[in-house]
Amino acid sequence: MAPTRLASKPIGVNENLNGIMTHGITTRSKQLATLKSYKDSLKAPNKRKADSPLKDMTAKRAAFGDITNAFNKSTANNDKDKVMGMKKVTVESKLLPILKSVKPQTAAVNGKASKTKQLQKAASNAIESVQKHFAKDPPKLVATRAQNGILKNIDKKEKSLIKENQNQSQSSAKSARSDASGEPSLYMTALENMSPNDATKEGYKVISEKLDKVNLDDTANRSLDEETGTPHEVPDGVPDFDKENWNDAFQVSNYAMDIFNYLKNRERLFLIDDYLVRMKGITSWMRALLVDWMVEVQESFELNHETLYLAVKLVDLYLTRSSKTQPEKEHLTKEELQLLGASALFIASKFDERIPPLVDDFLYICDGAYTLSQLLKMEMTILRVVDFDLGIPLSYRFLRRYARCARVSMPTLTLARFVLEQCLLEYGLLNHSDSKMAAAALYIALRMKSLGSWTPTLQYYTGYTLKDILPIALEQNATLHKKPKSAISTVRNKYSHTIFFEVAKVPLIDDSVLGS
Amino acid sequence: MQKYEKLEKIGEGTYGTVFKAKNKETHEIVALKRVRLDDDDEGVPSSALREICLLKELKHKNIVRLYDVLHSEKKLTLVFEHCDQDLKKYFDSLNGEIDLDVVKSFMYQLLRGLAFCHSHNVLHRDLKPQNLLINKNGELKLADFGLARAFGIPVKCYSAEVVTLWYRPPDVLFGAKLYTTSIDMWSAGCIFAELANSGRPLFPGSDVDDQLKRIFKLLGTPNEDTWAGVTQLPDYKPLAAYQPSLGLAQVVPRLPARGRDLLTRLLTCNPALRMPADDAMAHAYFHDLNPSVKNDRC
Repeated sequence: MAPTRLASKPIGVNENLNGIMTHGITTRSKQLATLKSYKDSLKAPNKRKADSPLKDMTAKRAAFGDITNAFNKSTANNDKDKVMGMKKVTVESKLLPILKSVKPQTAAVNGKASKTKQLQKAASNAIESVQKHFAKDPPKLVATRAQNGILKNIDKKEKSLIKENQNQSQSSAKSARSDASGEPSLYMTALENMSPNDATKEGYKVISEKLDKVNLDDTANRSLDEETGTPHEVPDGVPDFDKENWNDAFQVSNYAMDIFNYLKNRERLFLIDDYLVRMKGITSWMRALLVDWMVEVQESFELNHETLYLAVKLVDLYLTRSSKTQPEKEHLTKEELQLLGASALFIASKFDERIPPLVDDFLYICDGAYTLSQLLKMEMTILRVVDFDLGIPLSYRFLRRYARCARVSMPTLTLARFVLEQCLLEYGLLNHSDSKMAAAALYIALRMKSLGSWTPTLQYYTGYTLKDILPIALEQNATLHKKPKSAISTVRNKYSHTIFFEVAKVPLIDDSVLGS
Repeated sequence: MQKYEKLEKIGEGTYGTVFKAKNKETHEIVALKRVRLDDDDEGVPSSALREICLLKELKHKNIVRLYDVLHSEKKLTLVFEHCDQDLKKYFDSLNGEIDLDVVKSFMYQLLRGLAFCHSHNVLHRDLKPQNLLINKNGELKLADFGLARAFGIPVKCYSAEVVTLWYRPPDVLFGAKLYTTSIDMWSAGCIFAELANSGRPLFPGSDVDDQLKRIFKLLGTPNEDTWAGVTQLPDYKPLAAYQPSLGLAQVVPRLPARGRDLLTRLLTCNPALRMPADDAMAHAYFHDLNPSVKNDRC
């Protein structure tokens, strides 16, 4: 039975902006253009359009904003947000990435004039309406902080822009070109294996069509210099992925097997138990809402998926460990749940992101529910509870490795990612190891696309037999078959998009197919 | 904080002051690194966060040990194992030329520490003599992980503003953000030459251009034939086409042929062809390494 399809397209802000933000591959030249227009719009008196499409959008939401009625007390919501919460797409998902992603870079505004103009227009629309939003209730402390955050951000980046410019005597269209590929935006993650020049030479569509056909590995025609042997023995009939990629330095082939064995070994250090039985007042539904919101933040801030997965892990580890050691009256309350989520994202960003969002950005997305000192205190509390160990093995990383070793196509890997991300919301699946979760998600994806069963190659690289992962695959499949709920539809909406090959629309399969 | 008695200031790390201190109970000497936490700031600095997390994981004889993290309202204190000096100070204290066996031993330990980092998915990204600690037993330890980070496979784009200029590889000098373990191997090569020359830096450039010029004068200016993709790097600029001078014998006169061969493999402009740490450890140069160094595993 196929799931009911929810709106596959994010509810539009401005068609232009929306189109670019979601379809386009962010390039520095675009980002710079948007920064410029943002600065212009700050200086110039606003000539606002009468009806900016952004007018009614809220820039933030409490994680539980749209289901305030589900539990009597909401964290910090007003009616406006309750309504807005349903709209899902928020300004910050349109605006902040633009502001935020102005990375320190050279002025590379050559070429692409028409697109740049388009984007400038779109961005200034977005900015105008945000200013409108701020103008609506300017004295609010949080709004001010958030503005500071944004401004501070720009300021910082501007400074480094200047610095960079001084360092770089030449900035050419060439650099702009490679920048486009150098920038790992959210959507680059989905298209991670495309080669630099393709990114700009061809439109997204061409690329995605190409990717659909081509396997993950694009290194086949590179010359192989067999100077060094591989340290790991691969069984007969199983291709030696690392050896084949030996000369692709970015695969770190000489250490890949060691690293993944090491990560697998470390999984037992981060076990998550059935902590909700010890906790009063927090339910698996609330956790699902929280994770849904975290996915939204990840999208809005264009954070790495690793950051999202790490943050969710921190939430569950924190709850597992703190509920064991602390007396019940000190357990986290539902009112603090979003604080936990935001702080976890804050920590994970600092650990993994090249340019993490600022603390003000995290306060802002919580809709003013928490103060700076609360967030910083929670940061420290989490770090202490997890004993400063953030080297947590993540299913997302295992999945990429397994998919690459099995030479699975990008759409299939993306489908497996959808499975995995949908399962992030599922409390019942938390007791499984991340490597097994990744293997099972890949197995489901292969079955959903009728690409065969578990192969010796997959068994070798995952270390799991089909028997090992089938029970988990069945649980994951049950999660996919759950009736979609609008309050937790972010993952489904995200993966319904063309940039993610609309994998959320791939028809589901029966358990019997998995078992066959 | 009462547990430790501060003795003297040792230096400044990437993000905080370092003190020598004594554990009042055990009398053990430690190094304390203080990280201020300002209320109006971004919480724990990401450099401190990464250093703590990564060092918690990396327990190895050739990596400085993080014993403990103390936390108070306004600061974090990192408690490290104490070493007598760093390699820079060791160079300064040399009378005359360095013993070539010491060069070999230090280089091997550097590579062993690096191989451990790399096989545990960590890039150091700031290797230089100041960040290599030396203790009385002649043990060398990688320190200051303030710029280090964990990497994924395949690697993603990371910051190009890493590694102190003199030890920065040509790909990163050209603005490459997509780099991998090879970034540290270049620095290791520079340090190897510096070791062999008793502390004279190999490429003491004054700015990025000068740095590149010094490198290419020795090794030859790379082109698409020797390094596919070099002209596509973000900050690539065509520089004078120097021919390889092949003058390593003059540059590191005291290093034997095998050592020069290893040096050449580390100082390879094309990052894809640069020798990784584990291979370097197996290089013929180390065949006659003192077994007590070689077998001294963590």
